[in-house]
Amino acid sequence: MQEIEVLRRQIEREKKARKEAEQIAEQKTREIYYVNQELLQLNDQLEELVKERTAELSLARDEAIEANRIKSQFLANMSHELRTPLNAIIGYSEMLKEEAEDEGVEGFVDDLGKIHHAGKHLLSLINDILDLSKIEAGKMDLYLESCDINTTIQDVLTTVSPLVESNGNRLEFVILQGVMRTDITKLRQILFNLLSNAGKFTKQGTVSLTVSLEAYHGKPGVSFCIQDTGIGMTPEQMDHLFQAFKQADSSTTRKYGGTGLGLAISQRLCQMMGGHIAVESVYEQGTTFTVWLPSSGSNPDCESVLPEEGSQSYLDEGHNTILVIDDDPAMLQLMQRYLSKEGYAVIVARNGQEGIRLAKERRPSVISLDVLMPGMDGWTVLTTLKSDPELAGIPIIMISMTDDRNLGYALGASDFLIKPVNRDKIISVLDKHIMERQSDSILVIEDDLATSQMMTRMLVKEGYRVIRAGDGRIALECVAQSIPQFILLDLMMPNMDGFEFVTELRKRDEWRSIPVVVLTAKDITAEDRMRLNGYVENIVQKGHWRREDLLEEIRNLLIGARTNR
Amino acid sequence: MKGMVFTSFLEMVENKFSLDVADQIIEASNLPSGGSYTSVGTYPHNEMIQLVVQLAERTGIPVADLVRTFGEYLFTQLIAMYPQFIQEHQTAFSILRKVDNYIHVEVLKLYPDAELPTFEYETSEPGTLIMIYRSSRPFADLAEGLILGCIEHYGENIEVKREPMDEGTAARFVLTERK
Ligand code: HEM
Ligand SMILES: Nc1ncnc2c1ncn2[C@@H]1O[C@H](COP(=O)(O)OP(=O)(O)O)[C@@H](O)[C@H]1O
Ligand SMILES: [Mg+2]
Repeated sequence: MQEIEVLRRQIEREKKARKEAEQIAEQKTREIYYVNQELLQLNDQLEELVKERTAELSLARDEAIEANRIKSQFLANMSHELRTPLNAIIGYSEMLKEEAEDEGVEGFVDDLGKIHHAGKHLLSLINDILDLSKIEAGKMDLYLESCDINTTIQDVLTTVSPLVESNGNRLEFVILQGVMRTDITKLRQILFNLLSNAGKFTKQGTVSLTVSLEAYHGKPGVSFCIQDTGIGMTPEQMDHLFQAFKQADSSTTRKYGGTGLGLAISQRLCQMMGGHIAVESVYEQGTTFTVWLPSSGSNPDCESVLPEEGSQSYLDEGHNTILVIDDDPAMLQLMQRYLSKEGYAVIVARNGQEGIRLAKERRPSVISLDVLMPGMDGWTVLTTLKSDPELAGIPIIMISMTDDRNLGYALGASDFLIKPVNRDKIISVLDKHIMERQSDSILVIEDDLATSQMMTRMLVKEGYRVIRAGDGRIALECVAQSIPQFILLDLMMPNMDGFEFVTELRKRDEWRSIPVVVLTAKDITAEDRMRLNGYVENIVQKGHWRREDLLEEIRNLLIGARTNR
Repeated sequence: MKGMVFTSFLEMVENKFSLDVADQIIEASNLPSGGSYTSVGTYPHNEMIQLVVQLAERTGIPVADLVRTFGEYLFTQLIAMYPQFIQEHQTAFSILRKVDNYIHVEVLKLYPDAELPTFEYETSEPGTLIMIYRSSRPFADLAEGLILGCIEHYGENIEVKREPMDEGTAARFVLTERK
């Protein structure tokens, strides 16, 4: 009986517990339902909120863009308004300064010079601002044209070298021969910015510019590498680079001046042209900026005129490199200019020690050596080079103020030139020592005797070997006998004319790469052009060409052909 | 206190003593819940104290011993309900060290109304783990039981010494591995 009572109570309790559990379960279920409901609603609200915010943001963005456009427009107008009076200030201050100089009013000369200088500084600042606002307003236009890399760089170097050298820096460069399609003014501006920065932030160091062919993502292009051994930047400083009005730190303005616009502009310009700028820097050691630009301009449809990739090596191949050792920067620059025009890679050294080091490192094909230099003089360099069995074979051309040729030859110099040296002289001497150049032969195809003779004289004078042919058929026989490095072709000729000749010429694989330039008196029609297109390098109208231009073109084509071989 | 503690307790009384004893202690205690518990409910912890006191009276076994034994039993129930905690640990020390900052934290997420003790650990000596129990309720014995249950589960040879502490319900357990 007792036991039944216990069990009954137990069952009673269990029942109650079950009911309670069910109630709890039900309540939890309800709670879950409501919470779920709330969540759904919250979700809806969130979506709504996101929509609202997005709309607000896009409005804000539109407003910002518009505000920015108005700002840029304003800046553009303002800059113009500012430039006009500023030009007057600069012009008049310069004029007044000259007058003051003439009249010997020394006190004014200085002050007027300051006004003039400050005015020019202000102008460059305004120009920068104008540029930047133009870029940002989308109003900066590109003018793509065929650009001779060497000439452009020489221009920039001439402008920038006093600036760089004023800080006691040495300016070194390795330039490339070639043509690219780009906006020359903007390229100049970019290089000027970077080079002047390098010069500004480097004292008693080296600033170097190296130009090389480089493909980026399979796109052929040119890379300009500006390296300095200056103050460098910390990673934090580099984070703000390329932002307008940002300098590495505020003390920069005090110490070095500037606006912090140069890099911002350079980068935007690069991007507009389909290129980019990269920077590497080590604090207190130096900085390297690398600009890459496509060689075909930003327009991808445009064919590149540059030699293909791989031919890049010609820059370094010993047989085309000339080492110039001279302590006079003006002389170095002159040589650089002369020689790179001829398609040689030029390495320069400011003193004997460096010259020897570079000779060992780069094994140039010819060395030009100044005699009078502070420190180690030319004679010492000459004997050192000649006593090194590995370098003794490199021809050395001595350049001196005094005629010590006998001593020079006795010590092993290959040639001896007396300053001042003119361009033709130095080139002809160099040519003499560069074997490859001597074997270059040019086939002149021309039925008019007078013209043919004239051309031949001109070319022989430049040191080329010339073969003549009176018409296409004879010319083909000549080519079959010995392949010329270059062909100068007339179009209107008896028997076989120029059109037929090139068609025949291009049929043979081994003849296909010979560069051909057409020199004609014929009025070239669009149809003629079509027929010659792809077969010839260039078409020159008789009477419309300049001797220098033609020779330069021939030289360039010969270099191109040499590297393609 | 969570219902599962009560249901486990009564289950233990029924098994170790008898249905009759379970009934007696419920009837003798003055319980607001009437002694009907469901594991999903929550009940005043005083009911547990009353039940234990009644059980001690009826069996002549000291309260502390009863609660400790219950702790051992409760541990087997807990790990049956939450097997993942055991799976995550290979030794008693390792799981015991996780009670305060992990297991009970997870428990509180599931049952926001759970009332849990805190444990403070000292591990400065190798082979020794010191746990300091603190709670607003006097369940140090339960903690001891749970610790013992845990050691038993892993079949390890660990000595548990309990040192009283001056502050209220707190207790200090010194666990030493025996070689
Ligand atoms: C699988 C491992 C464990 C789980 C899932 C777990 C879970 C729980 C739960 C659900 C409670 C009830 C809370 C309430 O009554 O509101 C509780 C209480 C308690 N737990 Fe744990 N626990 C575990 C391990 C341990 C261990 C190993 C100890 C001892 C070191 C311990 C000591 C305690 C104590 C003493 C209480 C009673 C409440 C108090 O004293 O304030 N637990 N635990
Ligand atoms: N070659 C460099 N070496 C170290 N710091 C440089 C160099 N080029 C640029 N910088 C840092 O970047 C900043 C921004 O350069 P730039 O935009 O040309 O502005 P600015 O020359 O007017 O200061 C400079 O102020 C300088 O802090
Ligand atoms: Mg600058």
